[in-house]
Amino acid sequence: MRVGTAPSAAYDDLPYTRGGAVDRADVGALVQSAVDGDAAAWKALVEGLSPLVWSVVRAHRLSDADAHEVYQTVWFRFAQHLGRIREPDKAGSWLASTARHESLKVLKSLRRLTPTDDPQLLDRVSEDRTPEESLLDSEEAAAQSERVRRLWQEFEELGDRCRQLLRVLMSTPPPSYQEVSAALGIAVGSIGPLRQRCLRRLRARLDARGAL
Amino acid sequence: MNDDDMNDELEEFDEDGFDGALLEEELRRAAAILDPVPAELSRIAVDAYVLHDLDARIAELTFDSVVDAIPVRGATDVPRMLTFRAGEVTVDVEVTGQGLMGQVLPPQPARIEVLSGPQSAAPLTADAMGRFTTDAPPTGPFALRLRTGGEVVVTEWLRA
Repeated sequence: MRVGTAPSAAYDDLPYTRGGAVDRADVGALVQSAVDGDAAAWKALVEGLSPLVWSVVRAHRLSDADAHEVYQTVWFRFAQHLGRIREPDKAGSWLASTARHESLKVLKSLRRLTPTDDPQLLDRVSEDRTPEESLLDSEEAAAQSERVRRLWQEFEELGDRCRQLLRVLMSTPPPSYQEVSAALGIAVGSIGPLRQRCLRRLRARLDARGAL
Repeated sequence: MNDDDMNDELEEFDEDGFDGALLEEELRRAAAILDPVPAELSRIAVDAYVLHDLDARIAELTFDSVVDAIPVRGATDVPRMLTFRAGEVTVDVEVTGQGLMGQVLPPQPARIEVLSGPQSAAPLTADAMGRFTTDAPPTGPFALRLRTGGEVVVTEWLRA
């Protein structure tokens, strides 16, 4: 169970949940349907769980190229293991955990090949423009855009641990604490307190800058 | 949500003290705008459905030099060594800048495909000793599908 966050129904009408957010309760049933040959069920799984996989990869600050390859590897492997996954209703945790392991492996091989390079420096915001982003560029929305960018900037400058945790927590729809635990290798019980601390820290940074 | 709504919410926020859930929601919106899943990646994941193959046996990765080997100080461009196992069949693979070199054990001829995604496969043949090579390294995630005897074995997907 999630503690201290709004239920997903509270923001169902907001644009970022449009189209394809999977109710986590349905994940097991969707996996079973996909095993039985239902391509639409697979598509729904991708739409519902893709942001979680992407968040886990981004939380590890891979370069764009590495992030793309890890993301693909995770989904190819999920397709390959479909029908063999022991707890289909925990497919989100399976994906999060696989994304974590593959991300860590990339970081490990980078350190080995180029010990002085910091792969984290390669990180940057995706260049893909979404309809929402284009909208933000319009003049009426300039203030809103500025808010979002300032928030993002302060988030990016948090310490590694908080930045990582928040990057996973902010995926859409909100991940369960089991999924966060699988994504980051931290105990479920420590996520709530850590989350609160990290959000406070971010709030304090924003207040200090007079932002938001 | 218009600006007025947003301001109302923020006033409440300040009066009532810290509201973590609200800030998390703002971050969620920011992520959806500034760092969404790239559209081409979503498409590839949807297409990946064709990779499910309930009849093949999966050869699991049992050794990966990136994780399991002790690095040699000063050695650069060491080949990546991988071992996959499905029951009694083992596949050893070495990834170098020139391509893949591998062997099926116990030694046996095999028809092999190098998979690099939902769409593409490059065919190879392993000789009587089970040895095979490719002339280019994989550029992204890859898997090997082997037909040997009456059996199909697919190695776990891996990023080269």
